[in-house]
Amino acid sequence: MSEKGVSKRKAKVSQIPYAIVLIVALGAFINFLYSKNPNIAVALIFGLGFGYILQRSRFCFTAAFRDLWLTGSTSLTRAVILAIALATVGFTVIKFKAFLAGAEVIPGNAHSIGAIGIPLILGGIMFGIGMVIAGGCASGTLMRVGEGFTMQMISLVFFVAGSLWGVHDMTFWSKLNVGVPRIFLPDTFGWAGALLIQALLLLGTYLAAIWWQKKKMGSTE
Amino acid sequence: MKEYRLDCLGEACPIPLIKAEKKMETMAVSDVLIVMIDHSCAMKNVPEWARKQGHNVDIEEVGDGEWEVIIEKVK
Amino acid sequence: MKQFFLRISENEIYQRLFKNPFTYVGGAVMLAMLNTLTLAFTGNGWGVTGAFGYWGAWTLKLVGIDVSTWASFASESAQKTLAGGFLADGVSVRNLGIILGALLATLLASQFKFKKIKSVRQVVAAVIGGLLMGYGARLAGGCNVGALFSATASLSVSGWVFAACLLVGGYIGSKLLVKFFM
Repeated sequence: MSEKGVSKRKAKVSQIPYAIVLIVALGAFINFLYSKNPNIAVALIFGLGFGYILQRSRFCFTAAFRDLWLTGSTSLTRAVILAIALATVGFTVIKFKAFLAGAEVIPGNAHSIGAIGIPLILGGIMFGIGMVIAGGCASGTLMRVGEGFTMQMISLVFFVAGSLWGVHDMTFWSKLNVGVPRIFLPDTFGWAGALLIQALLLLGTYLAAIWWQKKKMGSTE
Repeated sequence: MKEYRLDCLGEACPIPLIKAEKKMETMAVSDVLIVMIDHSCAMKNVPEWARKQGHNVDIEEVGDGEWEVIIEKVK
Repeated sequence: MKQFFLRISENEIYQRLFKNPFTYVGGAVMLAMLNTLTLAFTGNGWGVTGAFGYWGAWTLKLVGIDVSTWASFASESAQKTLAGGFLADGVSVRNLGIILGALLATLLASQFKFKKIKSVRQVVAAVIGGLLMGYGARLAGGCNVGALFSATASLSVSGWVFAACLLVGGYIGSKLLVKFFM
């Protein structure tokens, strides 16, 4: 059946030569960055890795929160839960080691332990609506810019504009974050308790995702 | 059996998926739907959705970054 | 020469290595590993949108508007980032890397195609969606990566609350999309 469906077949061109040019250019760019600041060169390499993986696996955080409403599919929802579960293991090793070493500040916590207040809730809902309409979240938008989507290029410009607008208004919103909790689970429940709660949350959401897809699509694939 | 074409070139996720879903509802068993896409994520999620629904699916790369997802309705 | 590259492109082993999509599970495993390495190397989990406010500030500076005096930019680290510029900011350069990494992946797969805007509706969606994401990410202190992926993996309750809000937003967004942007 694959034969009759195809009407016009375009002459294929290999884009490998362009890829080789890009690799050479990237090598020169990394070298240039390294000479100025090795950390920045490493940052570019990490970015290339994230972009490459996102594109090749078609990993999409947006679809994880969208497709369950549209078609009932939760395959990406479950993939995100799996990614969180695995990263939890890696993150906890790093954080626990720092804790054992008596570190005053646990690595990454300054950025990652967010205030649980009205701004978080409002921001989360706004972000959820925006990413579905624009067809990609932050990482997804960047990835699709690289793939040549004009729509996501426009979206990125306004993402930046919205960010600056948000930064401007944060003087107001940050007042609502005064006195609200910032909870790092091990602080409240100890490390064992924190990991148990995390495991239950991950398992619970994973099972819920399987149940949801079975209910909506009749398939557990 | 009939053959339908759905032009989703230039459409971003999840629009090809929703359009295919709507079109499939109007089709009879053994009809074939050809979804034309150029969105690299849709070439994965449209076939995946159709397989989960139990249909026969085939993907053809018809050009650089362009695909045709061929779905045969089986139920 | 053209034929030579075409033959490589169509070689089965090449396709398996550089063309055929990874599974979602494979992507999840690799992203989790890379995010852990990011925390180990930089002292912070992976984040994306934190840099976008600076991108806006730098762009405005190019046209002569100075926003570095805003109260939200008052912190020492923000001032340092603003003064240092794009190529001195790790998060900004990493974001550039995401764009170029995705471009490289598409070129290696011979799947690059410049996708033009198809309708006004797409422009409207991109503008509204972009603004909502930008503003929302600043309120929430991050996006699906910083406020969700890195936060939940950091055993932070805020990550799970953000996830619940995304579910609500995803529901509203899906309804709006089907109604107005199809």
